[in-house]
Amino acid sequence: MTEHSEESIDGITKRDNSAEGWLLAEARKIRGLLASIIALAVAIGLLVVFQARLLATACQRVVMQGEGVASVLPLAGLLVLLAAGRCLCTFVLENRSAAAAARVKQTVRSQLYRKIQALGPAGLAGDEAGPLIETVTKGVDELEPYVTRFLPQLFLAAILPLMFLIIIVPSEWRSGLVLLFSAPFIPLFMILIGRGSEKLHRRQWSRLSRMAGHLLDLVQGLPDLIIFGATKKEAGVVARVSDEYRSATMAVLRVAFLSAFALEFFATVGTAVVAVLVGFRLLWGSLSLGEGLFVLLMAPEFYLPLRNLGLSYHSRMQGVAAAERIAPLLAKPLPEGFAGSLLPQSGPPAVLFEGVSFRYGGNRGGVTGVDMDLPAGSITVLAGESGAGKTTLARLLVGLARPESGRILINGHDLTLLDADSWRSRLAWVPQIPYFTSGTVRENLLLGRPDADERQITTALEAASARQFIGDLPFGLDTPLGDRGAGLSGGELRRLALARAYVRQATLVVLDEPTAGLDPENERLVCQALEKLARGRTVLVISHREETISRAERVAEMIDGRIERVVSSAEFLSMREVAA
Amino acid sequence: MNWVVRFLMISRKQWPWMTAGIVLGVVVIAANSLLMALSGWFIASMSISGSSGAAFNYFFPSAGIRFLAIARTVGRYAERLVTHEATFRILAELRVWLFKRFVPLAPACLERYAGGDVSGRLRADVDALETLYLRIIAPIAVGAISIAVALVFLLWFSPPSALVMLLFLLLAGVGLPLMVRRFSREPGRRSALLAAELRNKVTEGLQGVEELILLGAVERQAALVDDLSSRVIVEQERLGRINGIALGGMALFAGSGVAAVLLTAGMQVAAHQIPPPNLVMLLLFSAAIFEAAGQLPSALHLLPAARESASRIFELADAPIPVPDNPVPCGSLPTDHGICFSNVSASYHPGKPVLQDVTLNVPDGGSLVITGSSGIGKSLLVEILLRFRDYQGSITVGGIEIRDLSKETLIGMIAAVPQRPHLFNGSIRDNILLGNASADEEQLQQALRDSALESWVAGLPLGLATPVGINGSAVSGGEARRIALARALLKGAPILLLDEPTEGLDATTEREVVSRLNGRVRAVGGTTMLIVSHRPACLELGDAIVRLERS
Repeated sequence: MTEHSEESIDGITKRDNSAEGWLLAEARKIRGLLASIIALAVAIGLLVVFQARLLATACQRVVMQGEGVASVLPLAGLLVLLAAGRCLCTFVLENRSAAAAARVKQTVRSQLYRKIQALGPAGLAGDEAGPLIETVTKGVDELEPYVTRFLPQLFLAAILPLMFLIIIVPSEWRSGLVLLFSAPFIPLFMILIGRGSEKLHRRQWSRLSRMAGHLLDLVQGLPDLIIFGATKKEAGVVARVSDEYRSATMAVLRVAFLSAFALEFFATVGTAVVAVLVGFRLLWGSLSLGEGLFVLLMAPEFYLPLRNLGLSYHSRMQGVAAAERIAPLLAKPLPEGFAGSLLPQSGPPAVLFEGVSFRYGGNRGGVTGVDMDLPAGSITVLAGESGAGKTTLARLLVGLARPESGRILINGHDLTLLDADSWRSRLAWVPQIPYFTSGTVRENLLLGRPDADERQITTALEAASARQFIGDLPFGLDTPLGDRGAGLSGGELRRLALARAYVRQATLVVLDEPTAGLDPENERLVCQALEKLARGRTVLVISHREETISRAERVAEMIDGRIERVVSSAEFLSMREVAA
Repeated sequence: MNWVVRFLMISRKQWPWMTAGIVLGVVVIAANSLLMALSGWFIASMSISGSSGAAFNYFFPSAGIRFLAIARTVGRYAERLVTHEATFRILAELRVWLFKRFVPLAPACLERYAGGDVSGRLRADVDALETLYLRIIAPIAVGAISIAVALVFLLWFSPPSALVMLLFLLLAGVGLPLMVRRFSREPGRRSALLAAELRNKVTEGLQGVEELILLGAVERQAALVDDLSSRVIVEQERLGRINGIALGGMALFAGSGVAAVLLTAGMQVAAHQIPPPNLVMLLLFSAAIFEAAGQLPSALHLLPAARESASRIFELADAPIPVPDNPVPCGSLPTDHGICFSNVSASYHPGKPVLQDVTLNVPDGGSLVITGSSGIGKSLLVEILLRFRDYQGSITVGGIEIRDLSKETLIGMIAAVPQRPHLFNGSIRDNILLGNASADEEQLQQALRDSALESWVAGLPLGLATPVGINGSAVSGGEARRIALARALLKGAPILLLDEPTEGLDATTEREVVSRLNGRVRAVGGTTMLIVSHRPACLELGDAIVRLERS
């Protein structure tokens, strides 16, 4: 009795229990439905007993008493009635199951999706989108069999055999004893075998998501595979990965099916022993065929709920595996520093960075001790080499991440004290690679402001010099963009993103390399748009392009995560000229 | 049913496994029904013998019972293993088949389907096809064969019972499934469509979460997801209810069937046409054989959704190949690598011409920079040269029309950095070695130097083994582009196509990349280069510069 070993065992089971505990708590919310499912299954069990009794009595009359069909006709009629009763109960039961599943899935998916969204980029560092998507869609569906199959079976495995036993004993107590003593073997073996397969099952889940991600990666990179003539080789890799998946899954199934095998084996042996017992008692004349047949018919029914429980063990593992992915996400704490409640003032804000630091892990860079101010209504360009921390600083400003030390003051208030939603409603952000949904151009334009009217859209498009190419699209504003904005060039998509920022009517605008990758003509157009966008707003632009810099008032240059200097744009350009 | 035939043809290598699974399924059902029949007969005979005092040899029947019990138990285990083995083998076969189908469709055809959806379709629908054999083909085959065999058995012992059982088995095994199929067709189709849509919305919402947050659009996206989710679930619930009708109907027909056999066989016993123990045998056999019919409704229940998935997969796979390979490639190979465009027109969408009557010439070993405003079709020039899209007019390499070459020959001569190079989820080394899997360490280092990557890589703790993340998410855009450049240089092809090779780079790095690239091309010599760019720094790369204008 060493306390230490007990503790470690607890530690192992506790980790598994927390996910299943969460799942049980979810199930508890629909306990009314679950109770009705169990009650209906018990009612069906009683109907089965009556069916067996009627059938046995009929056989007794015809075979042993030599009675004619007339004497069993009412029994046959009753059998049909019982069948109709079973039909009705089964139908209602399945209805209840479907409703229970729907309730659980709807609640969990809604919670889960919102939680992931709320965690956002700051809270989800390290989680890849692919498996998360898989969890929200398929993972939630996989909770269903746990709730609607496994849980009811768990109760039925306790209730039904006991009920059948009580009914059998008066007819044949010896057979009752056989059943009673053979029954415990079933759960015992089930647990022994289930333990091993659970571990395997968990490994299989991660393999599945890896396989799914692999195929997606290859399909997205098909053009590159073609360019380098690697498609044949990769087809071989697809085959190999699928094959590995097969052998891994089969290893799980060989064990999982073994438990079903053991269950069936014990049920068969138990039934056979009962049959022999009954057979010899019949041969000795100490039992009537009616009673004997009834017991024989009930013997498999006695084992059936236990076997069903064994079969639904797979549902349990599947459900728990899904829960193990869902529960930790739901339990994840929301990122700190987003609980402020101050409302930002209207009008373009004045921004002050005070000793702001934020490091990514390793030597992936970040910013260190940044002090800088953005006067209200000014245009400031953030210049510097790639990797100098420009984007990091911009992300901190828009509140996608919080500084590790130092603070960002907005009109003198710490950014973390501001209400996150209202702060966001005051700003527009155009990242290096703007994000577009697969919806229409119009839907994408209105993402930030669904109630904008036609005139505002036109003005925004005009400002972003985007009217021309959108007019050229087959359905104009109602052309679907497809997944990657297919059909529009990089510069066009950039201008669309600018138009979107314009529609937003924010007071602080942050642009990350708005003119990168644009030809001089487009760059000029974008810079014009930028000037229009900047009127009456505080603007921070990341750029190292002369055209852009010349339109700003001030340039802040970053080197290795620090602000090297802040100078007027004319000064900056002349220094650059000297350097070149 | 065409799609089933198609499915069977794709998976024809797995027919032995599929057949074995079905045979085992029939064996299990036969063993189980015979076990019940024999036990019933045995008990009744024992009882009669007990009351009449006549001798009864119980050794043979009890040996039979033991044998059938073992056959049932072992058979069930074997059946499960074999059907699942077959399923996963089919799955692997399907995935490879699809991947190979997709290759000639990329990128022109695939991008017309939403990119997220292609993968979603691929994943979800191939998964759905996985159920085709295991949950549809095998149960239907096993059920149908077992019912036929059972009817022969009944006919042998009691023709009237066989007749009534035929009726009830037809009702349960054919009538019920047909009704279920009719009811579940629409909800099944809708649930598959909605599930794909839901996946799309979730993907969009999670991939674009930053901008959606900043645009204040997260709540709307969540509401969209909720709405789609509830619509999917409503359909799933509807399918569950239909399943209830199927299961309930089965209980009704099975119970009534046994009651009918009680009457027909009872009459025969009363008329002394069959021995009394046979009544018990026939009753238990009849009750057991409904297990065979029981698999049919749930199998047919899944049919519509499976058909939906299958037809979507085949529709995608059957999309016309945008640029078919030349079946009879021209025998002669280009002697040099000069590229000539004459009067070339091309477009992304039919009827929306982008390039019109373009005539260009890059001499062998020369280099040309193409500039022009965005959307003018610079990238399209690269794509038609790679045969990703078709063109009108003439493009020759070394004097031979590229249409006349096989794609393999053409691609073999070209290394390229496309407009949006894709980094595969692996290490930096894996991604660069894609250019030339057999390159040695020295060539690899040279490629790193030529693309100005070596100091960055040397500064990484894991060096070349650093993972680039999914879609290159762990490296910056400029780093990704230089990795793609190194990959292209490693291939060492005589023609180099670069689409904005310095995009996303700051001025210093850009200058460095350009000068390294220039140095490399000079050193190797004989490389024909076509560069698409509007960056002034890139102009240095060309012997000549062409500016594309509208029309």
